[in-house]
Amino acid sequence: MNELIPLMVIIPIIAALILNALGRKNSIVKTLSFVVAILLPLIPIISNYGFHYFGGHSPLIDNENLLSSLPSLISNVSLSTFHIGINYSFEGLQKILLFFLFIVGFLAIFTAINERKRISGQYMFLIFMGLSSVTAMLLSDDIFHMYIFFEIAIISQVGIILSSNDNQKYETAMKYMILGSIGGPILLTGIGFLLALVGSVNITDITYMIKNGLIDSYSPVFLFSFGLIFFGWIYSVGLPPFHTIKSAVYSKATPSGSALLQALSVVIFISFGLAILRIYSHLPFVHGIIIFFSLAGMILSITMALIETDLRRIIGFLAVGELGYIGLGFGIGTNLSITAALFQGINELIITALLFIGFGAIIQLTKISNITKLGGLIENIPKMSIMVLLGGFAMAGVPPLNGFQSKLMLIQSALNANFPELAIIMILISIVTFMTFIKIFHAAYLKPKPKDLIVEKSLVPRSAIFTVGVLLIICIVLGLMPDLVVKELTTFVGGLI
Amino acid sequence: MDIYILIHNSVQKFKNKIKKDTITNENVSSAMAAELTIISTILISSIMLRHINVLLTVLIILGLGLCLITNMPLISKLKKEQDDSLNKMMFYVILTLAILVSAIYWGVLK
Repeated sequence: MNELIPLMVIIPIIAALILNALGRKNSIVKTLSFVVAILLPLIPIISNYGFHYFGGHSPLIDNENLLSSLPSLISNVSLSTFHIGINYSFEGLQKILLFFLFIVGFLAIFTAINERKRISGQYMFLIFMGLSSVTAMLLSDDIFHMYIFFEIAIISQVGIILSSNDNQKYETAMKYMILGSIGGPILLTGIGFLLALVGSVNITDITYMIKNGLIDSYSPVFLFSFGLIFFGWIYSVGLPPFHTIKSAVYSKATPSGSALLQALSVVIFISFGLAILRIYSHLPFVHGIIIFFSLAGMILSITMALIETDLRRIIGFLAVGELGYIGLGFGIGTNLSITAALFQGINELIITALLFIGFGAIIQLTKISNITKLGGLIENIPKMSIMVLLGGFAMAGVPPLNGFQSKLMLIQSALNANFPELAIIMILISIVTFMTFIKIFHAAYLKPKPKDLIVEKSLVPRSAIFTVGVLLIICIVLGLMPDLVVKELTTFVGGLI
Repeated sequence: MDIYILIHNSVQKFKNKIKKDTITNENVSSAMAAELTIISTILISSIMLRHINVLLTVLIILGLGLCLITNMPLISKLKKEQDDSLNKMMFYVILTLAILVSAIYWGVLK
């Protein structure tokens, strides 16, 4: 038992509840949020790998005294290996992904604290609840537990959208909730079907039963459960047909809010994606379906990003499109491709946060997000523009940045798995991403400044420059030394498959 | 009609199709790039059907190619279908759910 593991979920929840109670006590809210946010990344670093069984309910096989006292009807059958309660598993993936999630969370909170004169405890409540929810999803081995925290994460996301100043925030949040009222219950129904068939919602137990032929994994109920859970997954992460609303959600929040929203989405994507792979990957069509939806997400999102004129919406579409790369890695289904997909997920979490906060500076200075009305801003924010340029290069996969490393791994895995078409499409989409990014960079920073463009004289907050700088350093470090994370991820994936 | 003429005509239509936005060189070239991206990626991804059946792949690629080129410009239609209308979103969500569940349920059982 490792007592630090549940603290990664419990500490943000307690912080959220206290901050909510503090309400509008500005200075206390800011101080407490900052302190908790800076402490969070330390927990995954100092925590050892292992399991945590809530209520001490470890499998019977781990408790020899208890097992020997039970009748052979229980002790000699597979029932003794089953998980009685909820358990958290903390391995290499969780360590790395949670560290980077908490880093992005800290930077988003740091930027939010500095970009607003007054900050409410309720807003911080939403941020910390979002962080704790996705952490629980990543740690949990229980698919129903994951669903509960998924719903909390969705509500937190809606709250974060509503805290922005955008005129269309209510409409977008309402649409997201309405679509969520389809996606969420469908996901829960899928889990219900699975529970009805297997009698457990623990993913390890379900996998054990499938591998040992204890259930019919081609029965209609099992197949139906896959369809419903898969549909819930594409809703949760924004693959088509949910890519439009997901990009709208990203574009309606504040820059730091958008950075956090996409980070939450990436972790949800990975958590549910791995659960689906573990339970259903033996079905022959699963990989094909994941590849189909991921490709559709990439193609539709990148083409929409190309023709959009709203800066935040473009980044939103690019963020959704990049998720497709992770999906392709899962879909190919080899050790290398899944490792590359997880690496891509970590990179996307960092790069997209950089771009949202970096381009957020433009909106802060001009109050305009239409790229046709922008221009010449490089003279106002030269440092930020260069960092954003490098961030864009990282997203497009320009060497030696982190995006290049993960995309190269994905392309290699596609070639190794006899899917050269996927490799070509990934290269093509990277080129178009590069083109899209250069288009918006030129429109905002390089083309002549329009005469009617009013730029505020106030400087971009140093916190935003610091945040973008830190994220860029991470991009460069991971680009130059990918083994810092890839080794751990490879070990994790080796144990997964 | 010659394919080049078809493509040329469709490019000319871009201007009318995106008239809501300010017309710039960037807009038109972006729309053209998006058009070419969507056609090329769909055609390349359909090659993956070779894992199922080669003859089927050839037929589908030929049919898709013809269909895509004769329906150009596609991107304006796609943009129209992917706006923020809740009705359209709901329609595609329900459609996806229906196709997904039906294909998995009956496709595998048969």
